[in-house]
Amino acid sequence: MTKRIFRAIMLVAGIILLASLLIIMDCLYEYFASLQESELKDQLSLAAAGVEQGGEDYLARVKSKRYRLTWIAPDGTVKYDSGSDKSTLDNHAEREEVRQALEAGEGQSTRYSATLMQKTMYYAKRLDDGSVIRISVSRATIATLALGMLRPVVIIVLAALVLAIVMANRLAQRIVAPLNALDLDHPLDNDAYEEIAPLLSRINRQHTQIDAQMRALDKKKDEFNAITRSMNEGLVLLDEKGSIISMNPAARQLFNAEENCAGHDFITVDRNPKLSEAIRAAYDGGRGETTIDRGGKVYQLDVSRIESDGKTAGAVILGFDITEKQNADAMRREFTANVSHELKTPLQGIIGSAELIENGMVKAEDMPRFVGHIRQEAQRLVTLIGDIIRLSQLDEGCDMPTECVDLKAVAAEAANDLRTEAEERHIGVEVRGESVCITGVRRLLYEIIYNLCDNAVKYNRAGGSVSITVGEKDGLATVTVADTGIGIPEEHQARVFERFYRVDKSHSKESGGTGLGLSIVKHAVMYHHGSIRLESVPNGGTTVTVTLPA
Amino acid sequence: MRSRFDNQLAELNRELIEMGAMCEESISMALKALMDGDKALAKKVAGLDVAIDQKERSIESMCLKLLLQQQPVARDLRQISAALKMITDMERIGDQAEDIAEIITYLSDRSAANEQLMREMANAAIKMVTDSVDAYVKHDTIMAEKVIAADDVVDAYFDRVKRQLIERIAADPADGEYALDLLMIAKYFERIADHAVNIAEWVIFSVTGVHKED
Repeated sequence: MTKRIFRAIMLVAGIILLASLLIIMDCLYEYFASLQESELKDQLSLAAAGVEQGGEDYLARVKSKRYRLTWIAPDGTVKYDSGSDKSTLDNHAEREEVRQALEAGEGQSTRYSATLMQKTMYYAKRLDDGSVIRISVSRATIATLALGMLRPVVIIVLAALVLAIVMANRLAQRIVAPLNALDLDHPLDNDAYEEIAPLLSRINRQHTQIDAQMRALDKKKDEFNAITRSMNEGLVLLDEKGSIISMNPAARQLFNAEENCAGHDFITVDRNPKLSEAIRAAYDGGRGETTIDRGGKVYQLDVSRIESDGKTAGAVILGFDITEKQNADAMRREFTANVSHELKTPLQGIIGSAELIENGMVKAEDMPRFVGHIRQEAQRLVTLIGDIIRLSQLDEGCDMPTECVDLKAVAAEAANDLRTEAEERHIGVEVRGESVCITGVRRLLYEIIYNLCDNAVKYNRAGGSVSITVGEKDGLATVTVADTGIGIPEEHQARVFERFYRVDKSHSKESGGTGLGLSIVKHAVMYHHGSIRLESVPNGGTTVTVTLPA
Repeated sequence: MRSRFDNQLAELNRELIEMGAMCEESISMALKALMDGDKALAKKVAGLDVAIDQKERSIESMCLKLLLQQQPVARDLRQISAALKMITDMERIGDQAEDIAEIITYLSDRSAANEQLMREMANAAIKMVTDSVDAYVKHDTIMAEKVIAADDVVDAYFDRVKRQLIERIAADPADGEYALDLLMIAKYFERIADHAVNIAEWVIFSVTGVHKED
């Protein structure tokens, strides 16, 4: 800026200086030339008059330093010269001014010296006797004049230079100062040069654009954060070098990472070799996955490469908690094994008995016992399959007809159905409480109470008691089945509702259960949106409370 | 130029952490093999030791290349020289895990599941290795100091294990070989803890420029 202003000032100063110099010199030169010319002519007339009267003596008397006087005879020989010895001078008849004077009475000419630095003006006049008197004067040319003015001009130029620097600096500062003071946050509120108004309005436009874009970006970011924050899955974004870009809270919890881990290499957060391997596989081949154990939970980690324009832009790690899935898988495997086992056991009994009969190894009097055994086992199989079918119906959650059911009546019915078994073991079964009606599936409600009672009788000690209490509390129907039986050890209490789960692992047939009873109870209660609570003291009895919404 | 150097330093950092993770894994595997009497797992530890050795060589050549080509000074120089020293200790940890695994293969399927004291000692040593690598990752000198202090705990465990084994030999001289094998294993765990202390000291050096032993 300063430089440009300085250059402009210098250019203007230079042009003005040069122009004025030229004009002044031209004018002065012309003026002085004409002045000199008239003076010269006067001197010539004087000299001519003097020579005509006094001849050579006059010339000798006139000692002038400024002029050179020459007296030339009509034939051109020099009769007198004030500048030099006349004998050294050649014939002057051919000189321009002399020839003119000889012919016309007067003549003049101008000649440059060899160096061009001097100009000599000649004026000649013919006298009455035919001789010619000539006067000449040397004067400086414009070049000499200019040369003479060189020093003052240089001084002026230097002065202009200094002045230009100072001015340029100050000017630049004064121009720039209001520009620097511009409030660019509010471009239109400025009171600066009107020349920059278009710039300011453009800045204003861009401001608005940038604001809009920032808002859009912030919104996107907020959306992204909101989505990732509420995700249960851990999400980690890595850049192309493996440094963390962002990590959602679930991932931070998973990897036990600090809040400000963004920007760090992922390996500083988790250096599990399996995960490192998976990440490398993702960067090299696009995908990697692994499972890791963290704090008693199992996580599946999927790593995918992010590509943009064919280049690796980073990777994303997604972590799922698959603990439940793995547990469910384990349970399903166990269930399959249990089902096969439970189905096979009665069949083996049937086959064994049938083989003995087939081979004639059973005496006639034993026959009823063996056939009875076959029937019992077949019956057991049917019960088991019936239970499985019921369970799978409950699993599928198909709609069953609901009606108004009196729970006390159902409890009495169940107790009645179990009477024979209970009497066999000298166990007293009593139904207490009030009539409570709820809307539900009668068969399932019966199933709940029957199975609970069945267990209470089966796992009771001889001479014990079972009490079924039906009641209502806070608008909820409760059925409590309490026994005085063998109880359930604490470590098994949480699992007794699983299919085929037995406290007694030997799957003994002694009790005759299928291992599905409590599982059916649980599903039936869930079908009615109720809840079950189990309290048990080993060798002290078990109390199961079922709460059902009316 | 500088950014390339920074990238190389980050790469060195990453490799070093990976190597630390491999050491942690190998001693954890050795302990599990010991407790379960799992010979197949013990054999895997030997395979991991080969990988650790390779890692050591690759980190070593990376460090030397950095020293020669970049001629680092001050903190960078400290980081690289500390890395050179740390990989030696890590490599020794890998070797000792392999030595433990080798003894396990001689133990004729006896699991040491009942050696509660040994398990506690091994867990303390493993925690020291984990913490020393963590201290490196986080440039945490306080954690490194804790690792150095924890060495006394492991040493005390070693004395207790030793006395227990002496009593056992006195009670049942016929089972002396097994007891001696266990003593060797305990000694290896004690050595692993010592190497963890070395690593922690180099962590402190790389952060503060002062090495504990000076």
